[in-house]
Amino acid sequence: MLEFINDNVNEIIQLTTEHMMLVGISILGAILVGVPLGIVVYQQPRLRTVVLGLVNILQTIPSLALFALLIPLPLVGGIGARTALIAMVLYSLLPIVANTFAGLMGVNPAVREAAVAMGMTDRQLLWKVELPLAIGVVFTGIRIATVMSIGLATIAAAIGAGGLGMFIFRGLAMLDTRLIVAGALPAAAMALLANYGLGLIERRIGGRSASMRQPA
Amino acid sequence: MTEWQRLPLHVVFLFTVAVMFTSCDAEHTVVIGSKNFTEQLILGELLAQQIEARTDLRVKRQFNLGGTFVCHQALVSGKIDAYVEYTGTALTAILHEPPSRDPEATYRTVQDAYRRRFNIEWLPPLGFANTFAIMIRTEDAKRLGIRTLSQLAEQAPRWHAAFGYEFLERADGFTGLAKTYGLRFAEPPRVMDLALTYQALADRKADVIAGDSTNGLIIALGLTVLEDDQHYFSAYQAAPVVSAKADSKLSTLHVALSALTGVVTDHDMRRLNYEVDGKRRDIAKVVKEFRQEKRL
Repeated sequence: MLEFINDNVNEIIQLTTEHMMLVGISILGAILVGVPLGIVVYQQPRLRTVVLGLVNILQTIPSLALFALLIPLPLVGGIGARTALIAMVLYSLLPIVANTFAGLMGVNPAVREAAVAMGMTDRQLLWKVELPLAIGVVFTGIRIATVMSIGLATIAAAIGAGGLGMFIFRGLAMLDTRLIVAGALPAAAMALLANYGLGLIERRIGGRSASMRQPA
Repeated sequence: MTEWQRLPLHVVFLFTVAVMFTSCDAEHTVVIGSKNFTEQLILGELLAQQIEARTDLRVKRQFNLGGTFVCHQALVSGKIDAYVEYTGTALTAILHEPPSRDPEATYRTVQDAYRRRFNIEWLPPLGFANTFAIMIRTEDAKRLGIRTLSQLAEQAPRWHAAFGYEFLERADGFTGLAKTYGLRFAEPPRVMDLALTYQALADRKADVIAGDSTNGLIIALGLTVLEDDQHYFSAYQAAPVVSAKADSKLSTLHVALSALTGVVTDHDMRRLNYEVDGKRRDIAKVVKEFRQEKRL
């Protein structure tokens, strides 16, 4: 195994980097889509069931099936990194949307009333009171989504987008355990590191400490 | 096939095992096995129906065994009497010899080795070969008049290829193919899940893929398999293997199953796979129709 690592160190580094890029970009995308979606769901109770239901359903579609659905689509489809990123963003939405919503719902009504009584507009209420108070919970969602998507990014290799999944898929095709381990170990290490690192930040900004112990 | 789709087959398998243990009349019963994918289930059923129709023997079906080794072990130990094996698989996976390009030589090699080492007989090949196959969309093939891999090589620099992991990794996969035909694509081939390459080809996201020659999707998606005019791919001919321990039954089996020699063409096998996988039809019915059509 050590010899194998030695022989393939460049490729391991390259695929690990690709893997991190996939995770980084898709999480960024998921935050940009998910947090506003969470706010909309909070402000428009009518949309709640529909949106939360949809992101829940997305989670249940097997990755290969999702890829098969995405391939024929113009702009977002095809084969390669773009399709993989779209799939990863969709899968990462649930924890971010759900936690944004939960964080906003969890704001103490007394605080909200006080803010309204002080004459705050809806926008001021959201930006100056509700979001700052909810940020810890929102961040918990982001951490969970990140750890999840590190594992998820291995499927990107099924659609020609690279990443550590390349090792895993090659290992499976050739019945070579070393390859599988070479893909799985760095991914696991990355997930643990991300969980720990983001957990530290989370504690500083007041995330829910109980959820620190949630498994990857 | 996903796990839950296999569930009924597992149940059938357990049931067959249970029946096997309770059966006592071994002299007049043959047990037919198969590996655990559609083509093998079809072929197992074909052997079974052929024996039922042409002999007085009773047939027990012990299908969906977990792969080459399980089938082989079951045959060697006498748990099953026959199943359909591929010459190339026998050569590489069972005999651990390097793949060979010559189908006749491969057949003779495995026939001799099986006779000596396992007391197992190879009956004549069924006709089709299951091998890697390079395919393109039929409309491209017609428009550009491409039928062979040599012709593909001229067009390839303008095209994109997508291959599965196994094809890119294996010694008898892409590297040798590219060398043999001087193949170069517009960019290095994309590597992705094998099942998704068919979809990518049909949706024009790739122009060339490597699938397996008997896949039913070739018909369903309108694909054309290019002729391997330099004979690069090893031909994995399918043929029944029969345990010679079934001595008293062997000659009867031999006669009944020899009628299947050369009957199943590549196109037939694709069509049968498509009927079962693509149209979700019952295997026994599909095989029955096929036998009527071929007057077996």
